[in-house]
Amino acid sequence: MPKRLASSLSDEVLEHVFSFIQSEKDRNVVSAVCKSWYEIERWCRRKIFVGNCYAVSPEMVIRRFPQVRSIELKGKPHFADFNLVPDGWGGYVLPWITEMAGAYPWLDEIRLKRMVVTDESLELIAKSFKDFKVLVLASCEGFSTDGLAAIAASCKNLRELDLRESEVDDSSVHWLSHFPETYTSMVSLNISCLGSGEVSFSALERLVSRCPNLRSLKLNRAVPLDKTANILRLAPQLVEFSACTYSAELRSDVFSNLAGAFSNCKELRSLSGFWDVVPDYLPAIYSVCSRLTSLNLSYATILSPDLIKLVSHCPSLQRLLVLDYIEDSGLEALASNCKDLQELRVFPSDPFDAEPNASLTEQGLVAVSLGCPKLQSVLYFCRRMSNAALVTIAQNRPNLNRFRLCIIEPNTADYLTGEPFDVGFGAIVEHCKDLIRLSLSGLLTDCVFEYIGKYAKKLEMLSVAFAGDSDLGLHHVLSGCESLRKLEIRDCPFGDKALLTNAAKLETMQSLWMSSCSVSFEACKLLSQKMPRLNVEVIDERGPPDSRPENCTVDKLYIYRSVAGPRFDMPPFVWTKDEDLALRLSP
Amino acid sequence: MGRPTSSSSSIDSPNHFAFSSTASSQRDLTTDLRLGLSISIAPPFVREQWPPMKAAVAEEEHECNSSTFYVKVYMEGIPIGRKLDLLAHESYYDLIRTLEHMFHTNIIWAEAEMDRDHYEKYHVLTYEDKEGDWMMVGDVPWEMFLSAVRRLKISKC
Repeated sequence: MPKRLASSLSDEVLEHVFSFIQSEKDRNVVSAVCKSWYEIERWCRRKIFVGNCYAVSPEMVIRRFPQVRSIELKGKPHFADFNLVPDGWGGYVLPWITEMAGAYPWLDEIRLKRMVVTDESLELIAKSFKDFKVLVLASCEGFSTDGLAAIAASCKNLRELDLRESEVDDSSVHWLSHFPETYTSMVSLNISCLGSGEVSFSALERLVSRCPNLRSLKLNRAVPLDKTANILRLAPQLVEFSACTYSAELRSDVFSNLAGAFSNCKELRSLSGFWDVVPDYLPAIYSVCSRLTSLNLSYATILSPDLIKLVSHCPSLQRLLVLDYIEDSGLEALASNCKDLQELRVFPSDPFDAEPNASLTEQGLVAVSLGCPKLQSVLYFCRRMSNAALVTIAQNRPNLNRFRLCIIEPNTADYLTGEPFDVGFGAIVEHCKDLIRLSLSGLLTDCVFEYIGKYAKKLEMLSVAFAGDSDLGLHHVLSGCESLRKLEIRDCPFGDKALLTNAAKLETMQSLWMSSCSVSFEACKLLSQKMPRLNVEVIDERGPPDSRPENCTVDKLYIYRSVAGPRFDMPPFVWTKDEDLALRLSP
Repeated sequence: MGRPTSSSSSIDSPNHFAFSSTASSQRDLTTDLRLGLSISIAPPFVREQWPPMKAAVAEEEHECNSSTFYVKVYMEGIPIGRKLDLLAHESYYDLIRTLEHMFHTNIIWAEAEMDRDHYEKYHVLTYEDKEGDWMMVGDVPWEMFLSAVRRLKISKC
């Protein structure tokens, strides 16, 4: 850009133009145009997303962006969801809150995922940010209802409190009652993770009745049916609702009360919950089904015939989460009824049983891929698969952008041919050119990785387990996948060679996780020395890795790029190249 | 080629519930237990963290593995509660004995006989069931109670 033009637009004009640019990626591009644009942009950036809380320090963020209003932080790696990251690994939010409390008095949104949040952090949030509006704690832990009470008592303008899938300790404080009687701002409340003792029904009813803007309400499992109906009648304007425990037998008075309550809810578009639901109660929701776009039945132990009846009432469905009780027949019904379906997740009802307890096979997924032209996102657990089915799916649905298949028994081969699934997944990456997320399973050789390296040019996240023959597999992925940000691998024979050869690639990625693979501690130290902007963490609870024989492989390895340098809150079971143990401070 | 560290055929215990002696002697209740039991028991396979599924959200306060089932017990007037392993008890009588000892009082339950002249020395034992209702302890068979109970409360008479 000619210097004349850049300087002829005043700062105010540029700032106004930048205010229309919301996406992080675009903002980053804007800031790289020239020094003055960098300066203007950094003063007016309001929203920050940090995908790995250890990639940068809070001080660095504050120094560059002094006027942030909204922050999103993620802590532990994804495999922490499956208990692969030991407790105490890290992801503490307190240092961030402490720094931001001083620097961002107008911060009004905090979104955290897989972080350790303490009551102290919550209390600090409550007293530091005067206009606090949004708190989302997804898959977090370390706090109790005491912390929630502090938020409820102080945050007069709180609009959103979402505790999805977090672990909350019950301190027996009636935290909901800490919302003052004058508080009326709630728009979205998700307390589905709380235990039965942690919610008082009367406080909940009073809260719901005085918040006219409430749009999303996700209650916990302990709210009984008659209370559910009461709450719905208090909030007929709800758009999203998580339904609660259904009682054991059908009572016609309870049924008609519930059905009546649902029929008032003309705006309802999303339903979830359904724990312990008795099929006889399902018709109570039929009045809202035609408008439903999202249905989460993944806790509902209802069988295929009832699921088929339900799904046939929901022609507008875009998103369905369900257990394998739906069976192939249910998925065929879905394919013929729900032409707007974009996302399907099928979970196993009995993941630990070797024998299938529901007739769900690859046929169900093939049917949906054929019948649902808008299908983009798939998460599918099943016990058998064939390359032919995968090729058909890939050809039917080249618009898939997320494909996560979990064939439950590791190393299962194509049930028709006995072959590995290299060709099947190869077809997926070849046809689905916009694929950004892929999870592999079943019997797989190095060939599948060759296909992935060759075709999956837009792939950002890859999950691999029990696959491959040699380092070549890992090498194909690291050298071929240009857009790769996150790679997580477990139980594969990948080792030092591929890692060291592709060291530079690792700095272009957000993170690499490898557990139960074949990487030596020597290679980790070498990599760490070669690449100063990578944090190479060996997670090993068996003791110091260099006290074991040289050919012994590390248990778990987490490598991530960082401009913040080594972290100071590592627990004793995390080993890095740093010999200076004084760096280890307790959190 | 990567191999799993153990195969699924190593699971030999019933996978939904694993009381040791009580379940096997009450076969007619096993179906009810399977349907009614909401305790999240960790089958052996889950220690290998496969298949990749998120741990069931801990909706209950119970901590449980295949041989313990801890519930909270509160006595009216005392803010600090106790925890008790119900599976360490064989029957209601066993449970009552433990509670009387733990809280230094006489416990009234469905089968207790009370000295009506000295009611102030007694406390009533109730439990919260899956529907959130508080019920007197002792009306239903022990195994059925185990599948329904969420926590216990000892109240003044």
